[in-house]
Amino acid sequence: MKNKTFIMLFSTVLGAWLSVWQSDLCHAAQMGNEKRQTTTDHSKHKVLQQEFSTGDDITKACLSCHTETDSQFHKTIHWTWIAEEGEKQLGKGGDSLNNYCISSNKMNDKGCSKCHTGWNAKEGEVNCLLCHSQKEVNWDETFEDFRFFKEEGDDESKALAAELQGNIHKAVTDIGLPTRKNCGSCHFFGGGGDGVKHGDLDSSLTHPDKMLDVHMGTNGGNFTCFRCHSGKLHNIPGRIYSQKAYEDRRSLVEDDTISKITCESCHTATPHKENAKMNDHTDKVACQACHIPDFARVNPTKMSWDWSKSGRLKDGKPYKTKGPYDKENYLSIKGEMKWEKNVKPEYFWFNGSMSSLTTKDVIDPSTTVAVSQPNGNINDPDSRIFPFKIHHGVQPYDLEYKTLLAPLLSGKDGYWTTLDWQNALQKGMDFSGVPFSGKFDFVKSTFAYPTTHMVMPKANALACTECHVRTNSRLASFGELYMPGRDYYKEIDFGGWILVFGAFAGILLHGTLRFFSGKRK
Amino acid sequence: MKKTIIILLGIILTISFSMISSAEEGNERKGKYTYRKVYQSCKDRGEVESATPTLSPDAKTQAQWDRYFEEKKYLEADCKEEWNKLSEEDILNIHAYLKGHAADSPTPAKCK
Repeated sequence: MKNKTFIMLFSTVLGAWLSVWQSDLCHAAQMGNEKRQTTTDHSKHKVLQQEFSTGDDITKACLSCHTETDSQFHKTIHWTWIAEEGEKQLGKGGDSLNNYCISSNKMNDKGCSKCHTGWNAKEGEVNCLLCHSQKEVNWDETFEDFRFFKEEGDDESKALAAELQGNIHKAVTDIGLPTRKNCGSCHFFGGGGDGVKHGDLDSSLTHPDKMLDVHMGTNGGNFTCFRCHSGKLHNIPGRIYSQKAYEDRRSLVEDDTISKITCESCHTATPHKENAKMNDHTDKVACQACHIPDFARVNPTKMSWDWSKSGRLKDGKPYKTKGPYDKENYLSIKGEMKWEKNVKPEYFWFNGSMSSLTTKDVIDPSTTVAVSQPNGNINDPDSRIFPFKIHHGVQPYDLEYKTLLAPLLSGKDGYWTTLDWQNALQKGMDFSGVPFSGKFDFVKSTFAYPTTHMVMPKANALACTECHVRTNSRLASFGELYMPGRDYYKEIDFGGWILVFGAFAGILLHGTLRFFSGKRK
Repeated sequence: MKKTIIILLGIILTISFSMISSAEEGNERKGKYTYRKVYQSCKDRGEVESATPTLSPDAKTQAQWDRYFEEKKYLEADCKEEWNKLSEEDILNIHAYLKGHAADSPTPAKCK
């Protein structure tokens, strides 16, 4: 008895200690003062006090101290935009496409390359400041204007040149770990605009409230992106083309050297109170499924895009119209689109990897084409029920080769200038290096995005009855899974009711017999 | 002799016109920074909440910007105090910037 009490006490104390330690590990740098990890004051470095008139000059100055960074960075997907999967070359620099702006034509579409981490796409040096400068600068404009005013030479121009060089100097010397704004300058605007592509990533996460995201909330954890997307040698985990964003489901309690990319890393596989029924769900249901009840809670996200309706003119000119949320719902250059807010996710089995089509894959145009879909099933131990944004599209495909087509959109030959599908598709496919028969039509498609940001505080997680309910269950499509509350067997229910009524009848009969048999005397 | 005079006159006239037209065009690059400073100063003074100008270049067509400056509409908008302090040349530069990036220009621009 004493032993049992001691063991219980010991496990309680150990449990409490572990949870404090784990909490410390995960919250060590969450108090908003990321700069405390900086060990140098960049404004004191002489090499950064020179006059800079190009981006490459800045990078050369950075590399004079951080000597290995460019060779490391050139191997990462942030630079290559390519993810290899067997013979497939996925990624924006490869053959991948989507049902938003469809393709970057292997980085030949200059509009897409604005988000590349080089000063001039893959030409020249890495732009270190894109991720590390705490000052926002429009670099192309600043350098161009600086050079112009320096050449002009009049007093006003000289003053403007000095002012611009001052801004450059501030940006070059105010260096730190990437903030949400640094990462968000590209990732919040995926698909060409705020919240277009991801339903759970948009500019509202630059300064979020904890009700929008309990981890990133400035009045919550105030996490920066890299608190979870913690990489090595500039390889930032999180990208999902075919490879999993993470391989390790262990928590930091088990091994404090592992990556912090998953919920389990900090919260462990049993995150709820001891003996809570929810802990029995974690082998089948992802944390995100319950803790992200909906997405796009502040800004709307694009939910559909029909390219087949583009090209209409009004008075001979391209036009655009606006719809709900003051968002464009028709543009001659893009077609018809729908935006939504507070979107309920759709749920699928997901083992952490996606299957994505490329310009080389043959499709079946008689069905809706899944351009990107999650991998996983009930029998896969790595699979969990996971929430997704499903974006519906209507996009061009090759009538003869049965492949999805990648039009060139921006630039003088792009569709947005010419409104000529035939020419834009030919140009785009030439860049892609994939044959185009010249005959095209449009096909319905879907694109799945895992929803993993915009995590609400625990009090706002889904109630059990959102799923365990006879009608309108969020998991109504998971027929292969028996879910109490949602599913039932008529025969078993009938038998159960017979037992209930039988027991009740038995009690009544027994009581009546005892009453009349006089045994009570 | 007459021919020489005509040629000289032609050259003088061409130079004068080009000088006048370049002055009328203004320096749009300088105009961009002057325009930003108007709203930065106005914000610092507390009249407006944001340093981002209320009207972006792409808010009007080139013809609309011409009318806007001809009729000195800027004096009816925000930050009148700052607009009043600007020189003729500053106004010309701002005009050149806004017109150069108007909605119907080859490079429409939005203030950020």
